[in-house]
Amino acid sequence: MSVQLIDRELDRLESLWEDGLSEMYRTYLEAVGSHEPASQPKLALAAALVEIGVQLQGLGGRAAAPPTLLMGDLCLARSSRLLADVASQSVQVAFAQAIEQMSAAAASCADAPAARELLLDALKAS
Amino acid sequence: MLGKRLRFETMHATEFVDITDRLRAEVRQAGMRMGRLHLQSLHTTLGLAVNENEPLLLRDFEGLLNRLAPANAGYEHDDFARRFDIAVDEPINGHAHCRQLLLTGFATLLVEDGELVLGRWQSVFAVELDGPRHRELALQLDGQFSLPLQGGGSGRGAVKSDLVELELSRQLLVDPEPVSTPMRRLVEAGGKRLRPKLVQLAAGIGPRSEPLRAAALAAAVELLHNATLIHDDYVDESTHRRGRPTVAAAEGPERAIAVGDYYFAKATRLIAEIGNRDVTSTIAEALEAICASQIDDVALRGTYPGDHDSYLQVVRGKTAALFAAACASGALLSEASPEIVEALRRYGDLVGVAFQMADDLVDFSPSSGKPVGLDIRQRVLSLPLIYAAEDRTVGPEVRRLLAGALGDDEVGRVAELVTSSDALQRVRREAQALVDAAVHELETVELDGLRPTLISLAHSAVDRIS
Repeated sequence: MSVQLIDRELDRLESLWEDGLSEMYRTYLEAVGSHEPASQPKLALAAALVEIGVQLQGLGGRAAAPPTLLMGDLCLARSSRLLADVASQSVQVAFAQAIEQMSAAAASCADAPAARELLLDALKAS
Repeated sequence: MLGKRLRFETMHATEFVDITDRLRAEVRQAGMRMGRLHLQSLHTTLGLAVNENEPLLLRDFEGLLNRLAPANAGYEHDDFARRFDIAVDEPINGHAHCRQLLLTGFATLLVEDGELVLGRWQSVFAVELDGPRHRELALQLDGQFSLPLQGGGSGRGAVKSDLVELELSRQLLVDPEPVSTPMRRLVEAGGKRLRPKLVQLAAGIGPRSEPLRAAALAAAVELLHNATLIHDDYVDESTHRRGRPTVAAAEGPERAIAVGDYYFAKATRLIAEIGNRDVTSTIAEALEAICASQIDDVALRGTYPGDHDSYLQVVRGKTAALFAAACASGALLSEASPEIVEALRRYGDLVGVAFQMADDLVDFSPSSGKPVGLDIRQRVLSLPLIYAAEDRTVGPEVRRLLAGALGDDEVGRVAELVTSSDALQRVRREAQALVDAAVHELETVELDGLRPTLISLAHSAVDRIS
């Protein structure tokens, strides 16, 4: 992904890049090889934003303070828009199901499956 | 005026049957905006009462009735030897008739903005005094109705709101209980359903009109809206919404975050499953705008006097984006022309901003049924507060109060100052002008007979301030 594109997609979320998001992005980038080259950066960023978003919110743990929750919400919303831009319907559905699974587990106070595992699976959806 | 009967079975000799939710549903189903709901007991041993639904208190009431009119206290009514034309199954119930005399047999409840006007702790009871029995109440709804918007109509502008309600119920039915129960409580508490109505109306405009797909999209948009409300209520520390405890207040912030996330994800999935990429993008962009503006909204709190442009920027994201997206996505679903899609998007944006301005005004209206002064307490940069803070007469005091600690006295004083200035009038005029502009947008395109309904809906978005 070009620097300009990253800048645009990280609007308001720049501080997260050095705070773990870049590392997550690189991990997911390695997992999107089977997708169209042009869509790979956005898909990887979408996955990274979900992972960091639920982390920020404190999903499944202690609730985040309101401003942090709102940052987490923006991460999920940005991810959703990135997926709408480039992902197939099946990947969009799989991402949503991954979040449904994590949040349903959190609401039930049950152990949630790891976000990364779910998202890596979602990226394989076809 | 509409009239009907409310029927129910009682299970006990004395029983307080809470009929509040059923009355709310009647108002919603009728599409009543403003007016009165009249209730009348059709029995001489069934009373009506408005009070708090707290189990121990209900036992107190029962005890009070027992003390004032005990059973078997030698009522002349129960002396069958002295009465004529007695039915074979005539019960011994002199006490029940006397108890009914202590209650009332009829009640009038106000309806504003499509909702029953009830205080936080008020519930409406039918009070059984001689049960168990089959009972019946007469009900009349008298006032203004948004008739073209209610379900069951058959005209071009009729919205099949029943389909959306069914779809919402169907979706909630399959969800895990820890998330579906709080969401069901929120959904069933009412709300205006403006966004799903906009989706459905717009989905009837283009050549591909499919009511079931439109209802699926409309229900998803409503779920998405409610998901954002659940997180907002935690952020705003709101204790009540639509007359009921918020998810965060009732079940804690952790549950609220999980429920909000679940329905955010579910709604985006349902929209993706519809399979129209333009629709998916439209809603996703709106969601992003909502979240970004919510951050701005919180960041700007307390920065009085604020300015009109910042206010508009926040409101266009926080509220109007989903109105605009509801209109545009419905039109896209029906494969309407790009001109129509864009005209409806602009219409939705203007209606959404006007709606938020009307909502700002509600904060200063004791008759709204909502707590007064919430925006003041949270130092929200609402338009009435911006206008009052910049007012030459009341502005200095308003700004001074808003900069300090805000107890009940200070909040009351700010509300008084805002009301005494022309701030509310300015906001009212501005909201009305936006509705007029929204209606004007509709004049530029061919809407296949739906214009009157869209005009009516635009007006209903601000009818709380008329």
